[in-house]
Amino acid sequence: MMSDRKIKLQIKDMTKKYDNGDGVEHINLDVYEGEIVTFLGPSGCGKSTILRTIGGFLDVTSGDITIDGKSIVALPPEKRPTAMVFQSYNLWPHMTIYENLAFGLKLRKVPKKTIDEDIKKMLALVSMSGSEKKYPGQLSGGQQQRIAIARSLLLKPSLLLLDEPFSALDAKIRQQMREELKKIQSDLGITVIFVTHDQEEAMALSHCIVVMNKGKFDQIGTPAEIYDNPQTLHVASFIGEMNFIKQANGTIAVRPEDIVVEKGAGKGDLDATVRTIMLMGHYVSLTVQHGDDVVKCFIDRDISGQLKENDAVSLKIGKHTTFPNT
Amino acid sequence: MSKRLKQNLAAYGMVIPAFLVVMLTVTYPIISAVIQSFQDEKTGAFTLDNYAYFFTEPAQLKNLLFTLFVVFVTVAIAIVVAYLLALYLRFTKSKIAKTIGTLYLVPRFVPAMCAVYAMITIIRDSGLINRIGLLFGMDIKLGMMYHASGIITMNLWFNIPFAAMMITAGLGAIPDSIIEGARDVGAGKFKTFTSMILPLSIKDVIIAATFVFMTNVGSFTTPYLMGGNSPKMLGIALFDQFNKYLAYNRSAALSVIMFLICSVSAGVYIYTNLKEQDWEKQ
Ligand SMILES: Nc1ncnc2c1ncn2[C@@H]1O[C@H](COP(=O)(O)OP(=O)(O)OP(=O)(O)O)[C@@H](O)[C@H]1O
Ligand SMILES: [Mg+2]
Repeated sequence: MMSDRKIKLQIKDMTKKYDNGDGVEHINLDVYEGEIVTFLGPSGCGKSTILRTIGGFLDVTSGDITIDGKSIVALPPEKRPTAMVFQSYNLWPHMTIYENLAFGLKLRKVPKKTIDEDIKKMLALVSMSGSEKKYPGQLSGGQQQRIAIARSLLLKPSLLLLDEPFSALDAKIRQQMREELKKIQSDLGITVIFVTHDQEEAMALSHCIVVMNKGKFDQIGTPAEIYDNPQTLHVASFIGEMNFIKQANGTIAVRPEDIVVEKGAGKGDLDATVRTIMLMGHYVSLTVQHGDDVVKCFIDRDISGQLKENDAVSLKIGKHTTFPNT
Repeated sequence: MSKRLKQNLAAYGMVIPAFLVVMLTVTYPIISAVIQSFQDEKTGAFTLDNYAYFFTEPAQLKNLLFTLFVVFVTVAIAIVVAYLLALYLRFTKSKIAKTIGTLYLVPRFVPAMCAVYAMITIIRDSGLINRIGLLFGMDIKLGMMYHASGIITMNLWFNIPFAAMMITAGLGAIPDSIIEGARDVGAGKFKTFTSMILPLSIKDVIIAATFVFMTNVGSFTTPYLMGGNSPKMLGIALFDQFNKYLAYNRSAALSVIMFLICSVSAGVYIYTNLKEQDWEKQ
């Protein structure tokens, strides 16, 4: 990693507690300029809470948040250089799509001609051309979500906050929007904080992933670091497919593609018997029984051809992490 | 009998009682009052004199204008105050706001007569305010009794909580997220109000205004206890025509006039309620 990169956003020992005691604690994070950082974690772990404290919709209980080195915790949302796409995409129901998109630009006194041009371009970008005169209530959830993204992007914020912005989109548009987002982000050079509970999305998009669990950060790292070296059991189980094999001295976490399977017992680290063989396309997903654990392995088709159910096999464990037994 | 016919009969059977009650107690008196208002008192012949009386007799014309004045001032102040109160209750999350939110309807539970008498003991020239003033050596005479200001003050007591209740319900239906979205793109508090909150709540404000208007055109208790001899509110004028002068045809004409005044606001109410904004159409 380059060390001369500029820090865009810094969260310093930030705690936000709701009246009922829920919330997030002791959050520390540096986000560098031009990065896409993803908050990844299960529902209710506090992703939206952190995003909303950055956007200015929640006051922090303690700690500080800075953008470009200046504290923003005392600023109201309209004074912060952030734009947010909300989980509920909240377009303004009484305004047309055009008015929704133009509202923020008008506040910034952008000339009408520029507004019209920008809106046209942006609608084309999110494949919603021609919807200017419609009202949000006349659009589907996915279409509203795209308009909400367009509304934020039009303002060219230096920090864009996205709270599960693709949740209402189907797989194909989702894929497209991911690519678009990545492209827009690098074109405009903006910094993006992206919230999702979809680990695949996090992997595909991010320069840096923050894995969250129950109001805390479990691990911060590049997608490769998180995938290859999960530091906690939670991270290991949350990201990608992972086998957990209980041993006397700890639990081995190993990915299905890091296990080599050989026919016959006693040739590897562990012995097991074949349970199921499933052809997935160019590879085969094999499950085997080892003691009480079911282990999944991805193997080549030429090996799977020699195997049938209840055969004895031996497993060679490749790259793996061992966690102490709890 | 077919199943469909049976269902229809059952449906009519359920509606008919209500229909008859409305016909007997509302429609019949209205029709008969309208007919009576066009009849000469002695001969029963058709005439417009009963109406002309209220628009040409200076004292009566004054009553009419006085009533409209009191009602419009009441509506204006009640709606502005109620809107501010409702905004406060909607957007403030303090203990005080919560307490006010529970208590502001209490005036509605005080029987009208008790409330009016209570107000009189406070504002009359020998009332509580006067006596407190005397303690400090000031002889405060508010002069609100038998004056429009007294009636308006009392009207506000009754109508602000009511209007606030209606507007609060409307504001409650505006999700926080709409306001957060506006703030996020750079709208300050005032801009957020004019671009988001006002357009999304104006319907409820207008409806509350029509209700306040209607209930005050025909108000009786307050002007009866607090109003002066001239000008009078129309409710009192009607009472006089009917009970003192036994002028039934003129009473009928005045009733129709009051009904027509109210129907203007009923028209506004129905129009506002029926008119779907473009954005409400699916
Ligand atoms: N306004 C609130 N008042 C009290 N508790 C809240 C409030 N908002 C959220 N919480 C609680 O705080 C925790 C974190 O909520 P948050 O909305 O940040 O989760 P999330 O990670 O965004 O979840 P999701 O993926 O479902 O959106 C949850 O336990 C939630 O119940
Ligand atoms: Mg959330």
